[in-house]
Amino acid sequence: MLMHVIDMGHDVYKANDKVAEKNKKKLDKYQVFSVNVMGAIGSGKTTLIEEVIRQLKDKYRIAVIAGDVIAEMDSSRFRKLDVPTIPVNTGKECHLDAKLVEKALDEVDLNNTDLLLIENVGNLICPVDFKLGEHLRVVIVSVTEGDDIILKHPMIFKTSDLAVINKVDIAHAVDVDAEKMRDDILSLNPNVPVILTSKHDWESLETWISFIELELKNLRIDK
Amino acid sequence: MHEFSIACEIFEQVMATAKEHGATEVKHVTLQMGRLSHTNPDQLSFCFKVLSEESIAENADFIVEMIPPSLECECGYTGTVDEEKIRENCEFKSELLAYAAVMECPICGKPAQITGGRELIIKSIEIETEDQN
Repeated sequence: MLMHVIDMGHDVYKANDKVAEKNKKKLDKYQVFSVNVMGAIGSGKTTLIEEVIRQLKDKYRIAVIAGDVIAEMDSSRFRKLDVPTIPVNTGKECHLDAKLVEKALDEVDLNNTDLLLIENVGNLICPVDFKLGEHLRVVIVSVTEGDDIILKHPMIFKTSDLAVINKVDIAHAVDVDAEKMRDDILSLNPNVPVILTSKHDWESLETWISFIELELKNLRIDK
Repeated sequence: MHEFSIACEIFEQVMATAKEHGATEVKHVTLQMGRLSHTNPDQLSFCFKVLSEESIAENADFIVEMIPPSLECECGYTGTVDEEKIRENCEFKSELLAYAAVMECPICGKPAQITGGRELIIKSIEIETEDQN
């Protein structure tokens, strides 16, 4: 019997990052702007994505990748809005990864897509470590999660390009200070844009939708 | 469960490398884990054990070496963090540095850019092979 030590140096996260980079190149090639929407269960990811679809679908060709552990409820909500939707059931997993998105991209008609919205699995921890190949990372947090939720999950707020505090209309009812939440986000990530939204306040939804549209347009100018 | 999929990836990579080198048994698997990665070493080790049952890696020692976070600051500092200071300022007093709100530069005290500490690297494996003679 002989013993050998074999150096491997295989970085598991970097392996994911490489696939993510490949996904991004593919999306760039077809000029598809992609958004990774992250947030806890019940934060309002699906609702806010629906609003983007409703307002922008006449101007841009939109597709959705809907990640969920098992059910297809979210994807059926998007299908009702007449946009191509690819459900990705992660089964046992708590996050989408670049390989799952790579596979889902095969089912997206990239030639006929301008905006790809990716709804991640409801979770504030695991999606942090897995890039998907997105252009914009969004974290949505709702006031119902409590105003200490942000400092409890710093990494997701540090690594996002946009933070949305949702359901601010009921902040008072759940005894939460939305401004404290905003301050906490800015203490972690001083340059991140923060938007306060409520599905009952059209102006706030417009701010959210305009942000996505502006980023989409910026990407095109950069190209 | 986050650790299970990572353990699957590690198991696949370890088995492929072991096979490539004609291993009859995998004795050690050594991992390097960044202290900011959201991975629990004990759960990962458990998942690997379950996955490697009835394989040539089933008795392998699973060793995890931790990598401290590294920073880059606008003042010019590059290097590791002052863990004690971060813990003092972190209201959760957690051993998990990933939960510290801000990583301060140990020189100027300003929040610094995190440049390392999120890695999860399969560093090496130790294998046994048949004696060629």
